[in-house]
Amino acid sequence: MTTATVERAATATATSGSRFTGVGTLVRFLLRRDRIKLPAWTGGLGLFVLYLAAALPNFAGTEEDLRGAAQLFNDPVGRLMIGPGYGFDDPTFERFVANGYGLYFALLAALMSILLVVRHTRLEEQTGRAELVRADRVGRSAPLTATVLVAVITNVVGGLLVFVMLVGYAGFAVQGSLVFAAAIAATGLAFAGVTTITVQLSQYARAAAGMAGGALGLAYLLRAGGDMGAQGGTGLSWTSPLAWPQQTAPFVLDRWWPLALSLGFAVVTTATGFVLSERRDLGASWLATRPGSAEGTESLGTPLGLALRLQRSGILGWGISLAIGGLAFGAYADAMLDAFGELPDVYAELFGGGDQLLAGYLAYMAVFMAYLVAAFAVTAVQGLRSEETGGRLEPVLATPVGRWTWLGSNLAVIAGAVVVMMAVAGFFSGVGAALVTGDVRHLWELTVAHLNQVPAVWVVLAMATLLFGVLPRAVPAAWALVAFGLIAGTFGPLLDLPEAVLDLSPFAPAAAMPLEGFRFAPVLVLTLLAAGIAAVGFLAFRRRDLDLT
Amino acid sequence: MTDVIATSGLVKTFGKTVALDGLDLGVAAGEVHGFLGPNGAGKSTTIRVLLGLLRADAGDVRLFDGDPWRDAVDLHRRLAYVPGDVELWPNLTGGEAIDLFARLRGGFDQRRRDELCERFDLDPTKKGRTYSKGNRQKVALISALASDVELLLLDEPTAGLDPLMEAVFQDCIREVREAGRTVLLSSHILAQVEVLADRISIIRHGRIVESGSLAELRHLHRITITAETTQSADALTDLPGVHAFEHIDGQVRFEVDGDRVDETVRALAPLGVRSLVAHPPTLEQLLMRHYGDELAARTNPRNGAGR
Ligand SMILES: Nc1ncnc2c1ncn2[C@@H]1O[C@H](COP(=O)(O)OP(=O)(O)OP(=O)(O)O)[C@@H](O)[C@H]1O
Ligand SMILES: [Mg+2]
Repeated sequence: MTTATVERAATATATSGSRFTGVGTLVRFLLRRDRIKLPAWTGGLGLFVLYLAAALPNFAGTEEDLRGAAQLFNDPVGRLMIGPGYGFDDPTFERFVANGYGLYFALLAALMSILLVVRHTRLEEQTGRAELVRADRVGRSAPLTATVLVAVITNVVGGLLVFVMLVGYAGFAVQGSLVFAAAIAATGLAFAGVTTITVQLSQYARAAAGMAGGALGLAYLLRAGGDMGAQGGTGLSWTSPLAWPQQTAPFVLDRWWPLALSLGFAVVTTATGFVLSERRDLGASWLATRPGSAEGTESLGTPLGLALRLQRSGILGWGISLAIGGLAFGAYADAMLDAFGELPDVYAELFGGGDQLLAGYLAYMAVFMAYLVAAFAVTAVQGLRSEETGGRLEPVLATPVGRWTWLGSNLAVIAGAVVVMMAVAGFFSGVGAALVTGDVRHLWELTVAHLNQVPAVWVVLAMATLLFGVLPRAVPAAWALVAFGLIAGTFGPLLDLPEAVLDLSPFAPAAAMPLEGFRFAPVLVLTLLAAGIAAVGFLAFRRRDLDLT
Repeated sequence: MTDVIATSGLVKTFGKTVALDGLDLGVAAGEVHGFLGPNGAGKSTTIRVLLGLLRADAGDVRLFDGDPWRDAVDLHRRLAYVPGDVELWPNLTGGEAIDLFARLRGGFDQRRRDELCERFDLDPTKKGRTYSKGNRQKVALISALASDVELLLLDEPTAGLDPLMEAVFQDCIREVREAGRTVLLSSHILAQVEVLADRISIIRHGRIVESGSLAELRHLHRITITAETTQSADALTDLPGVHAFEHIDGQVRFEVDGDRVDETVRALAPLGVRSLVAHPPTLEQLLMRHYGDELAARTNPRNGAGR
C-alpha cells in the first residue's frame, strides 16, 4: 500500500501532465494486447523468406530455369504484377527473391500497419473503450503516440526478422539484405502514417481501414502503371509509396536514398494525423455523418430486405473492384501472349500447356476471380458472425423471424451476389480481352467461363456456413480453404503436389473453360455438395445457443 | 388468471457458471411483473431463454402455452423485446431500425410510432452509431411500444434514459397495462418497479427467492416501529418477533415480524404511548435482505438513520 502511494506521488510530481502523459504505460498495454497478433505478423514475414528460400530451388533449380522465370516477369505484364524488375537481365536467387517478391513483402507490411493503427485508434474510440482510457491520467495525444510507437517497433522487428532470415538461413549478401529489410519496414511505416490520417476521417473503424486500403490500392495501381512502361519503372512509378522500396533495387544497385522518400512520407502523414487528431473531439470525425431517412421502407421490414440492405455496400465495392480487375486482366491477354514464347515449362503448365496459351491464361483468370469471390463469401459470413457477437442479431431473432429464415435470407443474398460478381468479373474480362484482340466472342465466352466456377465458390460459402453453425468461433478457418485452393491451383504444378491433394480443392473439378468445353457433371456435383454442407450448418445453427454477452 | 410465462426448475449453465439454478417464475396475463435481482443473478439469461435464444439445460418453460425454443418464431409474433444494451447498425437510421423491428414482428401502427417518437423526443433521421446510449434505447423502446403485441419483455429498458424520459416510459407502461397487455420488467430502478409492478419476483443466484405483490411481500417482512413512551419500553426486547431494538433521541425503534405486529402493539399500549410511527418495509429494504447479507449489514444502519 505504501509503495503504491509513494510511486503515485512520485509520478504525480515528476510530470505535471502533458499531451503525452501515459505513453509508456499505453505502449506496454498495446504490446500486451497484441502479444499474439504482432508475433504472428512479423513471424509471417520471416517465414515468407524461409518459404521462398526453400521452395525456389525446387521450381527454378538451374540457372536456365531462373533465367526463364525472370524473363516472364521482365515483360510489361510481369512488371505489372511484381515491380520494376531490377536485375532480371542477369538473375540470381537473391535478385529473384528481392525483386520478384519484394512487392508482396511490402504489401504485407503495409496491411499489417494499417490494421494495427486502426485497431488501436478508431476501433477503440468506436467501441467506447478509448473513453475509459482517456478518462484516466492519459494525455490527449498519448493513445495515437503509443500506437505509432508500437507500429515502429513492429515494423523494425519484422524487418530485422527478414534480415536475419535472408542472411542467416538463405545466406544472401549482407548489404542487399539490409536494404531489402529496411525497405519493407519503411513501407510499413509509410502506410501506418496514411492510416493515422484515415482514422481521423471516419467514425467507423471499418471505413477507416477501407480508406487506408484504398490508398494502398491506388499506390499499387500507380506503381503498376509506371512499372509497366519500362524496366526500372517510369516517372509515374515514383508517385507511389509502394514503388519506393523496390527502387532501392536490393542486390542490384543497393541504393538507400529512395527510403528517404518512404520515411519522409511517413513523417509527413503521421504529423498530419496528429494535427487532425488533436483538433477533434474524442469519437468525432472530420467527415461528417449525414442524416438519413426517418422511416424504413416496406422492403427493409423483411429478413431478405434487411440482409440486402446490410450487405449492399459491401457487394457494390467488391463488384466494382472485380469489374476493374477483370478489365485489366482481360486487357493484358495480348501482352501475355507475347511473353509465352519465353516461358519455362512449369509456367506453361499452369496455363494448360500446348499452343492454346491464351485460352489457358483466360481459364486461369476465371479460377483466379473465383478465389477472390470466395474471399468475399468468407468475409460475408464473418459479417454474419459479427452481427451475432455485436448484439444486433439478438433483437432480430426476438421478432417472429426464425433462425433459418434469417440465415437463409443472408445466404441467399451472398450466394446470389457470388453469381452476379462472377458474371461481372467474366463480362469485364471479356470486354478487356475483346478490346485488345478484337474478338468479341470473348465477352460471352468469358462470362460463361466465370459462371462455370460459381459452384466452387458456393462450396466455400457452404463450408463457412457449416462452421458458423457448428463451431462459430472457427468461421475464419474457412479462409484456409480459399488459401488452399489458391496455392493448389496456382503453385500446385510447380510444387509437385500429388494429384490426389490437388483434387481436394473445390476449384479443381470444374472444366477449365474456355480451354476445355463445358462439363455439366462437376457443376451439378459441386452444387449438391454445397447444398449438403450448408444444410448441416443450418441444422447446427438451430441447435446451438446464440453467442451473447 | 392464466400464466403467460411459467417456468419450473429451469437450469442453464455456461461451462462451470450456473446462471439459472432451478428457476420457478410465473407471470400472469395482464400484469406488470417486476423482475429484480443483483448483477449476475440471471435476469438476462432468463429472458433470453424465454426468447429461445438460449436453450435451457433442464426444467420446463412455457410461454403462452408454447415452448420458446421450439415455437420461437410463432411466439415472437406475440411479443416485443427491449434489451438493456441496444446495438444498432451503423448505416441504418434510428427510424429505419424502428420500422424494421416493428415490421419483422408483424404489427405496426404508423401513427402510434410517430407519436412515440415525439413523446420520447427522438430524431429518427440519425444514423445508428451517432446515437447516444439513451437514444439507442429509445429506438428499441419505441419500436416495441408501437407494435401490437401481447407481451413486452423488457430487460433494464431505461438504464440510459433521463428522468423526463423515465416519466414518459412509466406513462407508456401504464397505457400498456390498461390495454390488457403483459409486461416482464427487469430493472434496477426500484422506484420504477414500485410504482409500475403489480407483482414482483426477486431472483438471486439463479433462483426465485421471493414472489408476490408488494403488499404480500411486505406482509412477510418486518415492519419498522418508532415510538415514544412515558415508561421504559425495554421489556419489548424479550417479545418473540422483535428485532433490532434501539434507542434514538429518547425514542425506541425496532422491527417486528409481519405476523407479530398485533401482539407487539398490545404490549406497547400500556406503556403510555406519546407518539407512534409504523411503516412497512420499503422495496429497498426487502431487496437488501436478499441481495447479500454482508451488503445488508453494511447498508441497513445508514438507511435506518435516514428515516
Ligand atoms: N454467454 C455467457 N457465457 C458465460 N457466462 C454467462 C453468459 N451469459 C451469462 N453468464 C453468466 O450467467 C450469470 C447470469 O448472468 P445474467 O446476464 O443473466 O445476469 P443479470 O441478472 O442479467 O445481471 P445484470 O443485472 O448485471 O444485468 C452471470 O454469472 C454471468 O456471468
Ligand atoms: Mg442483465
